[in-house]
Amino acid sequence: MKSSSILALVSFAVLVGLLVVLPAGVKQQMQGSLLQMVLPVLQTGASMQAKIGDVQGGLKRLDELERENQRLRLENEQLRTANSMLRGLEDRVNRLAKALDFREQSQFRLIPAHIISRDNVSWWNSCVIDRGRANGIATDMAVLTESGLAGKVTTVSRNTAVVLLVSDESLRVSVSIEGTQEQGIVSGTRASSNYLPQLLIRFLNKTAGIKPGMKVFTTGTGGVFPSGVLVGSVKDFTSRELEGVATVRPSVDLANMHDVFVVSGVK
Amino acid sequence: MIRFFCVLLLLILGAFLFQFYLPPVLLLHGASILIVPSLYLYGAVALPFPLMLALTLYTGLMHDLLIVPQAGPHIEFPAGLSAVVYLLPGLVMHGVRPLFLRYRWTWHLFLAELSAALTPILPAAHYIILSFARGEFFYSDAIIWRILGPGIMSLVIAPCLFFILTPLAQLLHFRPGLRSVS
Repeated sequence: MKSSSILALVSFAVLVGLLVVLPAGVKQQMQGSLLQMVLPVLQTGASMQAKIGDVQGGLKRLDELERENQRLRLENEQLRTANSMLRGLEDRVNRLAKALDFREQSQFRLIPAHIISRDNVSWWNSCVIDRGRANGIATDMAVLTESGLAGKVTTVSRNTAVVLLVSDESLRVSVSIEGTQEQGIVSGTRASSNYLPQLLIRFLNKTAGIKPGMKVFTTGTGGVFPSGVLVGSVKDFTSRELEGVATVRPSVDLANMHDVFVVSGVK
Repeated sequence: MIRFFCVLLLLILGAFLFQFYLPPVLLLHGASILIVPSLYLYGAVALPFPLMLALTLYTGLMHDLLIVPQAGPHIEFPAGLSAVVYLLPGLVMHGVRPLFLRYRWTWHLFLAELSAALTPILPAAHYIILSFARGEFFYSDAIIWRILGPGIMSLVIAPCLFFILTPLAQLLHFRPGLRSVS
């Protein structure tokens, strides 16, 4: 073996060793800085992906289009009539829509954010949002959508943040099941992904009368996640020898969510 | 050679970012489409040993910083560890470098398919390390497919990339083992 190769191998081993033993804070800073650097690329990618999604949604088969055209002609006539009556109500509807807005109604202080990339290639379920320290986001803040709990912030840079999603095995959330006294910890499984999420609540009472469709809410224990946030609904319940295990269907569509809210506090 | 190495670094970074927007293949239990391993393994077979190690360190570090959440006071998969994971298939590819230097398309096709066959080592090694960190090891059909699936898809992706990268290397005046074209 050449001396240059030996030197390279030793250097490689030393550098890997140094990287691995670096303090966690330094690694988070490195991750944040890199994401900050590639932020323009991620933003461009996210907007292109949205455009492609729009085009795909617009492509329909010819027979579908014919049927839709007939239906729309009829609907158009009806709407023309209704439109003239509804003009006066437009302002009122806008006000009501605003009042119904999730952010306005929520009891939490929420920072809106847009998802700019999503990890589909590893054993971790995470995404990157386009808001960071400059917008008041910090690590361990809960992330919600209007449908329920999405995850929590793990790494923050100036204008981006990494969100660990509720489908990840390492994210554990204290939950209670609606209509029962049962409490447990919900987490994803290692095979879980954004597209095929698998959430489990283990160590439940095996005689608990848990039925499919029951809603699962956060308890607020631990301080990271506020209490009363919907996590999902029970898909099925299995009694094992020592414990009951509930499979949970997440309330948030993790593969298709585009906008989230970061909880920065209580109003 | 350095120019090709730099281009490869950029391509790998671009591929990491591009992979974010590729949906998983639901028919294969959500297996991912991976481009980076094929690019990296081409570099491992084409570049001399010291540069191959530098490429390994870069690819592993980028993988961990772009993909693995570095969360909490005790990070379960510290940044940099993937360099060791990438080194395993990288060394195998570098070991068959003499075949690459023969400059026959049949050998390049064989090496591309070999790189595809080595691709599942990466998700498998990550899975094993993660299982050790979490103190529990189990497997299911979904896990097996998510390990093997990227390799199956790379059987198509890798030859395409290999046959693009070889002319690109020559365009950048890099022909390993031969005198520079310029």
